[in-house]
Amino acid sequence: MDSLLLKKRYRPDLWAVFSWAVLGLVLGVLVYTLATLVVQSLPAWREMGAGLLLKNDWFFRHGRFGAAGMVYGTIVVGLLALALALPLALGAAIWMAEYLAPRSRWGVKVLIESLAAVPSVVYGLLGVLILRRWMGEWLAPFGAWSGDTLLTGGVLLAIMILPTLTTLTEDALQNVSQRQRAAARGLGLTRGEVVWSVILRQAMPGVLAASLLGLGRALGETIAVYLVIGRMDNQLPERLFSGTALVQPAQTLTSKLGGSELYIALGDPVHWGAMMALCLILLGITGLCAGASLFLNRLWTTNS
Amino acid sequence: MRGCFAVPEPTVDNKLMRRRRTFIDLATHTIAVVGGLLCLGIVTAVLGWIILRGAPHVDLHFFWEASRESGLAGGIRYQIAGTIILMLTTLAVAVPLSIGLALAATVYLPRGAARSALQGFLQLLNAMPSILFGIVGYLFFFHYLGWGKSWLAGGLVLGWMILPTVTISLIKSMEAIPLKQIHAAAGLGMRRGQIIRSIYLPQSVRGLFTGSFLGLARAAGETAPILFVATVFAGVSLPEGIRDSPVLALPYHIFVLAQDSLQAGAIENLWATAFVLVALVIGLSLTVLPFRLHNSNRRDHA
Amino acid sequence: MCANFGFPNVEESHSLIRPSWWCFALLMAFLLPIFASVATAVDVLRVQGSTTVNSVVADALEILQAEKGLSYRIDTQGGSSGGLYAIGRGAVEVGMSSAGFSEQDRARFPERDLRALTIGYDALALIVSADVWQGGVRSLTAQEMRGIYEGRIRNWSEVGGSDQRIVFFNKEPGRGTWKSFVRWLYGSENAAPPVNHPEVGSNSETRNKVIGTRGALSQLSAAWVDGEQVFALGIRDAAGEIVFPSQTNLADGSYPLTRPLNLLISGPPEGKVQLLIEFLQGPRGAELIRKHGYLPLSAE
Repeated sequence: MDSLLLKKRYRPDLWAVFSWAVLGLVLGVLVYTLATLVVQSLPAWREMGAGLLLKNDWFFRHGRFGAAGMVYGTIVVGLLALALALPLALGAAIWMAEYLAPRSRWGVKVLIESLAAVPSVVYGLLGVLILRRWMGEWLAPFGAWSGDTLLTGGVLLAIMILPTLTTLTEDALQNVSQRQRAAARGLGLTRGEVVWSVILRQAMPGVLAASLLGLGRALGETIAVYLVIGRMDNQLPERLFSGTALVQPAQTLTSKLGGSELYIALGDPVHWGAMMALCLILLGITGLCAGASLFLNRLWTTNS
Repeated sequence: MRGCFAVPEPTVDNKLMRRRRTFIDLATHTIAVVGGLLCLGIVTAVLGWIILRGAPHVDLHFFWEASRESGLAGGIRYQIAGTIILMLTTLAVAVPLSIGLALAATVYLPRGAARSALQGFLQLLNAMPSILFGIVGYLFFFHYLGWGKSWLAGGLVLGWMILPTVTISLIKSMEAIPLKQIHAAAGLGMRRGQIIRSIYLPQSVRGLFTGSFLGLARAAGETAPILFVATVFAGVSLPEGIRDSPVLALPYHIFVLAQDSLQAGAIENLWATAFVLVALVIGLSLTVLPFRLHNSNRRDHA
Repeated sequence: MCANFGFPNVEESHSLIRPSWWCFALLMAFLLPIFASVATAVDVLRVQGSTTVNSVVADALEILQAEKGLSYRIDTQGGSSGGLYAIGRGAVEVGMSSAGFSEQDRARFPERDLRALTIGYDALALIVSADVWQGGVRSLTAQEMRGIYEGRIRNWSEVGGSDQRIVFFNKEPGRGTWKSFVRWLYGSENAAPPVNHPEVGSNSETRNKVIGTRGALSQLSAAWVDGEQVFALGIRDAAGEIVFPSQTNLADGSYPLTRPLNLLISGPPEGKVQLLIEFLQGPRGAELIRKHGYLPLSAE
């Protein structure tokens, strides 16, 4: 009896080994990713400095790499998509969370969530075949050359992120405890007032987090944008909020990376470095959105 | 209640106030219904278009025949095969890795900063643009390892991409395991490894299932990651080796044909392929929807 | 959850279902194919490059596969540039290019002994959408084209058409089509001025965008022009003579904007590569080339 208790057998916990190994592997891949992008983009940073990010001057054949036009395109297209999709998503979320009966809510939720699964290439298809034609006709009086415009990209992305945004916003609204609603109604507030004064106020961080996540997704979308944005470099308007830029073709970081310039860049360290720098900039922008969303989520869940 | 719209004082019966409150109530309801219907309308329009344009051209023939004339004629037999191969490989890569990560997040990592860092990292990875996975994969497999286009490379990249989805789902189900069971097991003298094998893993199968189906749904539809590392447009039927054997894939097929969209024969095939892909993806996500809704319903009773 | 498992260990039952064994098995299942693949060589003819050349080569390979069991793989990503890089890197056995093969290209990969084998010729057309053609524009001079390219000429009315904005879709700079185009206008790629236009990639995308846009102009292989939805402009020289990109004009050399359809290989041709080249440079290949609207080597 004593011998059993005293003899401690140190069996290695293989699950621990496995788990730590996976953790190490994941960390390794992460480090490799960042390191390789940074190292490969060094020649371009050395050559161009901050001008890579700030100058609107991308002519690779002449060795000029200024990605400001692309950064502008990426950000505008993302913000446009958010601006178009958020009101709809919020309205739908309020409808589902506050007004619909549970069964119908379930039905609507299923329908919208199934759309969230649709792949981006199919959206791109719809964009090329349908949206592009319509936008070309509608925007022609505003000076658009064809259906490939910044606005088209924004609208397509808005449709793309709508389901995800709706789902996330609705989750945020649902997270407000039922007791809050009951208490508000008990005090005599109408349903509308409950929505604005209680639910939205309390769920605002969650809604913001959801918007940032949706924005991040819109910023990182490649295929759909590639097909409808026109892919025209150096489209940076003089005034930041110019309407003409919306009806003209543009270029985003993702549409540049999804094109064939990667193949052209192979073999030229500065050009390739510039492309890797584009990857880093894209990573930075989407990372910022995701990070902000995460931060808001943490803030919100620790407070509720 | 700070910030409320004016709650009328009981002694004053203010008609204007009542009218204003009724207006706000009505307006909110209208906004909600309009928003919801518009949302539904867009969803229905998109799905409806795909079904209406695509479904008529899909028949058994379409699935079974191989592509001919660069996709203008014939079916999508090998594209489906390629997508299935990629999905299976993705699953084989993602499942073990996410089990390892989930165990790390719930059992092995010290509480506090390390665990939230891991969760945070997973959320960030989830938000990363898919084309970056493709480019880094390209750098690793083409430049560093010297491989050609390979289905395994595609599977590895996609598996890495869906890792957060599966892991987070797994972590959620592991955290939902009642502590009493763990305590009871520990009280019985079970080692950590045994507890994991007999309690954690069997009870988190549902989370694994949900997460992997959702992840597969995403992986099946992604083009950007496999664009550089795994797919070609023509000439391949089934992969013959590992290092230098690309596959065909449904999303890439659609992508290339979408640029050839105005040619008569291509349009029919294009819509049909899109329909098949969307049906596959929606099928995968709808399969697990009941499980996910069941989980979120439990929260409503707070 | 208890983080501390400091209880005394109990003798574990010897179960066959040890997690450690499963882990090991899974790991092996992963690694073994990788080891195996390093040993096996995949004996497939890999081809990559221009979409223009691809239409012929794809057909030829389909025939060769049916007749001689030749297994192959085609990739058209990156166009002619992608093909050049792929053969330069040794990722493929045959690259396809619709631009001329210059010393500069050879110098990019000095250790590979790259050579270009021409299988035919193609006329590069300046294509316009139906509304432009119906507006009366039938030809352009090189001078006018330069003006359009550099953004100085912006309306079709300046070159004989109706009052409609010129929407010029530029081919991606990596494409053979683009290279041939700027070589005609400016002499070499490096002399081309830095300009910005909306871009198109493959031949099919070019055609579709032009069809779908009013006032559109772009560069496209003449073989892809159907004369119903897109129209090929003639090239007008200083004397006012107009030459259209027809087969005859291509054959007698009067159309200035031609380019060779090249297969790029590394070293002397042998084995499968030899098979493909012999087929394409032979009579059956010529037939295929003519069928796709290009000009075969021996213009019969």
